[in-house]
Amino acid sequence: MQERYAYYPGCLASLSQKELDSSTRAIAKKLEIELIEMPSVTCCGAGDIHEAKPDYYLHISARILGQAEQSGCDTILTICNVCTLNLRQANMALQADAAVLNRVNDNLKEVGAATYQGGVDVRHLLWEVSAGEGYDRFKSIAVKSLEGLKVAPFYGCQILRPAKILGFENSDRPESLERLIMACGAEPIDYPAKVKCCGFPIVLAREDVALGELVQPLEQAIDAGADVIVTPCPLCHLSLDAWQRKAAAYSGRELGIPILHLAQLLGAAAGIEESELKFKRHVTRLSPSVKAKLQVPSVVGTKV
Amino acid sequence: MAAIENAHFTTLKGAYDTETMEATVKVRRYNPETGKSRFDTFTVTIPVTATVLDALDAIKDTCDGTLSYRKSCRMSVCGSCGMRVDGGAALACKVPMRKFVEAGHTITVSPMGNLPVIKDLVVDMAPFWDKIRAVKPFLDTKNADTPAKEWRIDPADTALIHKESLCILCGCCVSECNSMEADPEFLGPAALAKAYRFVGDARDKDTRERLRDLSGAHGIWDCTRCYFCNQRCPKGVDPRDAIAKLGAESFKEGFTSDPGAKHAKVFVDSTYKGGFLRETELVPKTIGPANAIKDIPFALQLARAGKVPNPLSPHKAKDNDEVKRLWKLLEKEAKGQPRRATAVHPDAVQEG
Repeated sequence: MQERYAYYPGCLASLSQKELDSSTRAIAKKLEIELIEMPSVTCCGAGDIHEAKPDYYLHISARILGQAEQSGCDTILTICNVCTLNLRQANMALQADAAVLNRVNDNLKEVGAATYQGGVDVRHLLWEVSAGEGYDRFKSIAVKSLEGLKVAPFYGCQILRPAKILGFENSDRPESLERLIMACGAEPIDYPAKVKCCGFPIVLAREDVALGELVQPLEQAIDAGADVIVTPCPLCHLSLDAWQRKAAAYSGRELGIPILHLAQLLGAAAGIEESELKFKRHVTRLSPSVKAKLQVPSVVGTKV
Repeated sequence: MAAIENAHFTTLKGAYDTETMEATVKVRRYNPETGKSRFDTFTVTIPVTATVLDALDAIKDTCDGTLSYRKSCRMSVCGSCGMRVDGGAALACKVPMRKFVEAGHTITVSPMGNLPVIKDLVVDMAPFWDKIRAVKPFLDTKNADTPAKEWRIDPADTALIHKESLCILCGCCVSECNSMEADPEFLGPAALAKAYRFVGDARDKDTRERLRDLSGAHGIWDCTRCYFCNQRCPKGVDPRDAIAKLGAESFKEGFTSDPGAKHAKVFVDSTYKGGFLRETELVPKTIGPANAIKDIPFALQLARAGKVPNPLSPHKAKDNDEVKRLWKLLEKEAKGQPRRATAVHPDAVQEG
């Protein structure tokens, strides 16, 4: 774990999933890590720009990586699977071939943007706190035990696969989320779809296909007895949380399981308050019993 | 040190004359006559160098001759022995048994997914072949000036389709495709990787027609980017990357009317206009204003949770003029290039 990170919250945590941003900032403060802002960065392209305009994707990624470098950080901290994959993928392409990097830098120079020398790593919050010194540091701030809370980990695709770009852990049998759930004093729940897709990338363009994917983790986690699902990805969160009622209509059964961002689960164990974890910003609301198990003091009149 | 008794290893024994080990394998069985499935567990003695396929051969030779599976080359070239090992599709001939035995782990072998099971580990590949056929897996030069001797291709041009040319049609990618599980009609990773092998071929003259067909229903925009195909492919084809390349080629040809392509365009435009994604534009521009209106009750659920950003004040990153200039520069550069000059495609960069 580093002392300072170039912080890249990405679009969702900056816009519709603001509760993830505020929870992350709160947990970073507890962990005593400094998050350096990058006010000029764009969207990572979410795989969409990579698919539509690959050369443009490579350039905007280099611009993001270059800004991190300019800020004096050697690591970008991400809190989204899709940002993690897209930035790492571009970073690998840029670091692997000096000719590619030189051409991209020539173009960046021409438009007056910061260039990139190739010295930045991109790492997700999950990786930083689930192993090594980061894990020890989290254990030391996890002052509340979430005993009795059954948590189904949902990894999402783009923090696991392709392993040659991500490669933090075994992509078929990951255990970083389970390790953190246990560090919170809660009980991890196992189910096969925890490493499968939530359908989010195609939920607008191919809603039925996406819902066919989304119902699997929701139904399996409920059937396995989970109180909540936790995910390190705000896109998975939006899919599992906001599209849950559509998934229920698709599958013809009641669902209604609350979805937590990883930073919210960690935050609850670290005693961070509702005003920063902002559970009210979820479409699928936390039931009183789950809220009690999370032990978050609910402050009357907290602004959404 | 147990002796190798079964007939199958008499040849191997001479070649390897090696240590043996006891291995236990759990196999999913399916009997088409009764329609019933079950798991059988077998223990066999195999050389320490044995693969999962060798273990199945030993089971068939010494325990149960009715066990059915496909095999041929035994060296990861023919693509016959695709099956799931502990739930993940792989070539049985490419997975060594030793690490499992040493870990005291009993592997479970089951048939590939997304394809109907015929018997035990044998799946019906007919739907797989139908999709391969559907993408016209052959060169169409439209009778264009056939050279007297042979086509000569610049090595840089063959490099563009090198990875896709490595496909051995084993079906491991299809087995794990999350989109195909939800939409069995999706062309899927193997057929789309094959399609790119021809779309990207400098000799092929059917490019526009191919891309028009591939960018419609059940085509490239069905892919949910779960990356299971890249993860499972035993030959490094990276089918998902091939699908992304097809997306880029369709954009170049102007095939952007599919909702998936429109979705991608909103991301491109958002970065150009302001930096971060314009979430409120994503829905109407992807599914059309009429469908967006039908979805208003859903949008209200999101709005109540504070999840609809104010469309009147979209996010603006600092210094975004740099990005505008970058976009214009790259578009100008791309215009001057022949369509296939995509040597700088990030996916064309091999891992180092």
